[in-house]
Amino acid sequence: MLKLPGSQINAGVSLAQKWWQSFCCFLFPPETDTWLAVLRIGLGMQVIVYALFLRSDWHYLFASSGKGLVGREVGEAITSFDSPLIPTLGWLVAIGRNFNISEEAVLSIAWICLLSAGCLLLLGLFCRPAAIVAWFVHLCAAESGGLLAYGADSFMTTALFYLLLSPLPDHYSFDHWVAKTKPKNPRALGFWRRVIQVQLCFVYFIGGLAKCLGNGWWDGSNLWRALIRPPFTVVPPDILVRFKYALPVLGIAICLLEVSYPVFIWMKKTRLIWLVCIVAMHAAIGLLMGLYLFALVMIVMNIAAFGVISNTATPQSATETDAQ
Amino acid sequence: MYWKQIHAAWFGIHFFLLTAVCFAGVFWLIAQGSTILSSAFDEYARRAELVATWCLGKEARASNPLRRGIATYLHAAGIQAGYSFFAPNVPSQHRLTFELFYDDGRIEYESPRMRSKAAALRLESLLDRLPEERYDSVREALVKMLAFSVWRKYPDVKKLRATLDSVHAPGITEFEQGKTETFQPMFSFDFSLRDEQKQ
Repeated sequence: MLKLPGSQINAGVSLAQKWWQSFCCFLFPPETDTWLAVLRIGLGMQVIVYALFLRSDWHYLFASSGKGLVGREVGEAITSFDSPLIPTLGWLVAIGRNFNISEEAVLSIAWICLLSAGCLLLLGLFCRPAAIVAWFVHLCAAESGGLLAYGADSFMTTALFYLLLSPLPDHYSFDHWVAKTKPKNPRALGFWRRVIQVQLCFVYFIGGLAKCLGNGWWDGSNLWRALIRPPFTVVPPDILVRFKYALPVLGIAICLLEVSYPVFIWMKKTRLIWLVCIVAMHAAIGLLMGLYLFALVMIVMNIAAFGVISNTATPQSATETDAQ
Repeated sequence: MYWKQIHAAWFGIHFFLLTAVCFAGVFWLIAQGSTILSSAFDEYARRAELVATWCLGKEARASNPLRRGIATYLHAAGIQAGYSFFAPNVPSQHRLTFELFYDDGRIEYESPRMRSKAAALRLESLLDRLPEERYDSVREALVKMLAFSVWRKYPDVKKLRATLDSVHAPGITEFEQGKTETFQPMFSFDFSLRDEQKQ
């Protein structure tokens, strides 16, 4: 058996320690909680808008078979095939049944809970319970909706999931004013911001890579098809056709912007340019395609992750809080 | 005391799963031959997709606790699907039309409708998923439920035919030449109050 000399083992150990330290420096940068306030307020608005947008169709979308559009049982069956442990609105309806509460009433209560959680998040009252309720009810709705869900739902679930795990409350919230909570560990705040930053890099790199693999993004035809596709048709095709020479340029720009996001968003010199371009892209998606919910959640996540200037806490205070 | 190690371990697992989900999606697109890559890559992509889905436990039995655990976590974190929206190309739109047959021979046409635009987006999402192969087993049931939602508004209808069309939008040049969208029927189902018959 090969024996390594002690000096080589020591060198290996010190290399691993150095690697761990630099990994920790990347993963746990000291941060203030301003970004968390942005995320909380933004997601509060998102949840409110989500609930209000679906107000008139809430029961029709999520009622059981024979009462709604397709009945939530189909979505729930598909979800339960993945895992029966994934929460759905069916769970809430079953609980309500034990208390003689009708399905309709349970759905109404769920909607009210969601709207209230959104308002509480916006104000910063009972931040953690509000984040948990918002995440849970939205997850139930998204999973029961199943085939009716789209990209905005996944991003909302992800953003609320990170919010509920983050060190709430932030010092802009009512909770902080009322309960005078202790300052949070700056490194824990930095960690959760880092998680959202890395998540966004995955989102754009994969999205950009997949688009680069389609010929329609290089000649503008995909942009044309996306914009004239009902129900995304906000700009009439007659007007859109006037900008036909701009479409290939915009299509290529979107591909390059997304695929290069994980590189240029980290560089101080290019961060603002990439952030402004990405936010502008999402604003355009919202306004030109009517995907307001999708646009809002992406803008909120981007601003929270990279838009808020990092008022890095001093290493001294970070160490003190670590010790606490 | 070990919070950094615990957080770092969670970070590693979380983003390992996300990487597997994302690349499974990209490899699936390549394996389908729907990208600009040569078909020589299809087989490699299929194998790579298998590796990615294996990492997610999807090759295990449906009742496997690890598979269920991973699936539950992915759904809870909202990372169960990749991020290849509108990629590699914008998919075709679909239209579901119902022909309503009355006893007196009258025929009316109707489509499933929602009140709000936000819900209409979700309906479009459903219609676009209907032709997908993975929904073969639930397609008829879904169309039947959509038909029933229309039937409730028109209780006098005796028979109902649901037809799903693929909508081919004109390209820019075609649009300038005055061409409009064309419809390609994909499948249709006939429903009556007493029995259902697939066509």
